[in-house]
Amino acid sequence: MERDVNINFFRPVGEFMTKDVSMKKLILVIWFVSTYGFLFLLKLVADPAVTSQVTLTTGEVVTQVAGQSWLTETQFLGFPFHYWYSAQFCIALYIFLCWWYCKFIDKLEKEHSKK
Amino acid sequence: MKRLMQLGLTLFFMLVSSNLFAAVEDLNPEGKFKVIPALMMIALLVLFVLVGVFAKAQNTEDYWAAGRGVGQLGGGMAIASNWMSAASYLGMAGLIYLKGYFALSYVLGWTGGYVLLLVLMAGQVRRYGKYTAPDFIGDRYYSTTARLLSSLIVIVISFVYSVGQYKGIGMMFNWIFGINYQMSVFVGTGVVLAYVLISGMLGATKNMQVQYVVIVITFFLPLFFIAHKLGYFSAVPQIGYGAALWDIGHGGNGIAAASADPSYYLPFSNYTAYHWFALCITLMLGTAGLPHVIGRFYVVPRVSDARWQVVWGLFCIALVYWTAPCYAAFAKFSNLLGTAGVTIAPDAIVVNAAELAGLPEWFAGFLAAGGVSAAFSTVGGLLMAGASAFAHDIYFRVMNPNATEEKKMFIARAGTIILGVSIIIAALNPPALIAQITAVAFSLGANTFFPLFLLGLWWSRTTKEAAIAGMVVGLLVTFGSMFLPKASVLAYYIPFTSSAILGVPAVLITMIVVSLMTPEPSQEIKELLYKVHNDE
Repeated sequence: MERDVNINFFRPVGEFMTKDVSMKKLILVIWFVSTYGFLFLLKLVADPAVTSQVTLTTGEVVTQVAGQSWLTETQFLGFPFHYWYSAQFCIALYIFLCWWYCKFIDKLEKEHSKK
Repeated sequence: MKRLMQLGLTLFFMLVSSNLFAAVEDLNPEGKFKVIPALMMIALLVLFVLVGVFAKAQNTEDYWAAGRGVGQLGGGMAIASNWMSAASYLGMAGLIYLKGYFALSYVLGWTGGYVLLLVLMAGQVRRYGKYTAPDFIGDRYYSTTARLLSSLIVIVISFVYSVGQYKGIGMMFNWIFGINYQMSVFVGTGVVLAYVLISGMLGATKNMQVQYVVIVITFFLPLFFIAHKLGYFSAVPQIGYGAALWDIGHGGNGIAAASADPSYYLPFSNYTAYHWFALCITLMLGTAGLPHVIGRFYVVPRVSDARWQVVWGLFCIALVYWTAPCYAAFAKFSNLLGTAGVTIAPDAIVVNAAELAGLPEWFAGFLAAGGVSAAFSTVGGLLMAGASAFAHDIYFRVMNPNATEEKKMFIARAGTIILGVSIIIAALNPPALIAQITAVAFSLGANTFFPLFLLGLWWSRTTKEAAIAGMVVGLLVTFGSMFLPKASVLAYYIPFTSSAILGVPAVLITMIVVSLMTPEPSQEIKELLYKVHNDE
């Protein structure tokens, strides 16, 4: 028997693993961008005129952009939008991602008659 | 022997009565015994024990055979109550109160990690078919040294995690019974130890579901009244607190625009974006690398159920995490209004929020009792995980493979008590806030177990030498970051709560380099791994 039994996330073997891994990659990309991409966006659109003094652990006091922008000054359901996005929407998105993956993998396993 | 005991007792009373430990705020300076909260607390404990007694007949398999839908939701509730500790119930709101938007990284870190756990670990771990994390590591990395080292790490994680829980229990007992914090830690943990030793033999899963229901009810109910009292949309306070946030930052509803505090909601007013990112990613990776969380997947009969349990578990956790920021916001709002006469401690802000809003005492008592039960359910699981790592993975597998069942049981009990007592000593003088102490446990999980599971499952070339080197580097980074001088530049980039930002890449690189320099794992290991991903 001369099959390749080496497992590597970036070189999947077999049809099942190939499909599974590409779905995993998709979900991980959405997960990462929705969490940290939003943080980056907040930084990107922040109004440079609004600053605050931050004391670093090193004792140094620096002035940095506080992050005020249309994302923080738009009201949504009463919330500053960015706060609602982080505290509520992201969590709901995580649940949806998990649900989506479970649906997908159940179906894939059925097709490949795995238990 | 007698003299030793006398000495110990003297030392004990000196410790308890001294003011050596002034770090924790006294929440109950008049030493008032609060009757209604105390009765609630006792009633809850009795309820848990009774449920355990009556659910005894129902074992794990009966439970899973009981029908898919119910089983998955029930399993999710068990995951959630095992997961949610004093850090979720008390600590998270405290940090949000102090640090505003920055602390949302705790909320996202402790939920987003489940996506990683599901996608990269849950199904594969279940298919690999081992019983504990050290069991998996010992087997996958064909090494007794790796097993030993990973068991020690399990014990250290349980230890650090529990210190935060004991602090929460101590503070709540202090608030309810009016005894000082140090005494409260002794009394509270004595109760937990007794509770673990009793309930450990009773129906655990059923009990965890009851605990989850208690956590949710106690956490939700007072909020409707707080929101109503402060004049916000109270039918769904999880939405209503949004307007309170807006008013905190801009003024309104009684707060003058001049005394508004925009730093509470602006994203980068107290901390940098880098620190937000570092903390959040550490908690996420730690979630996917905590041994007692991964452990929940081994006991499920079917792979599909293991995965669906994650979805339901995350949903049950989210209900509480959507709610925790409400307490922080309402407490902040009341505080800006200037309600006086309440001793505020960040780690008790949930209880303080009810007091600040001027609600009758039993609401706050409800929350205090819920906080204690959240801590109980987690400490129980942690003490058992730590003790079983000691009794099963170290003593039975390595030191004395011929041990009898009684001998093993004895070692496990002794392990629980030793662990419990050493945690008390650390909790007498807690080094940080509850959620921060817990974050250190997560850093350790992220720096050690996460890379070992990730590479172990997804790269068959990983060798045993790499596993050992990885764990050593992970331990060094985690504990190294705690001893960095606070004012150094390194401490700025690697805060002790978020050391995985450096640790995980360092460990992954170490493991890959060492693997490529050492001989490949055997064919059987590769065959087994191939089957995990691809059995026909």
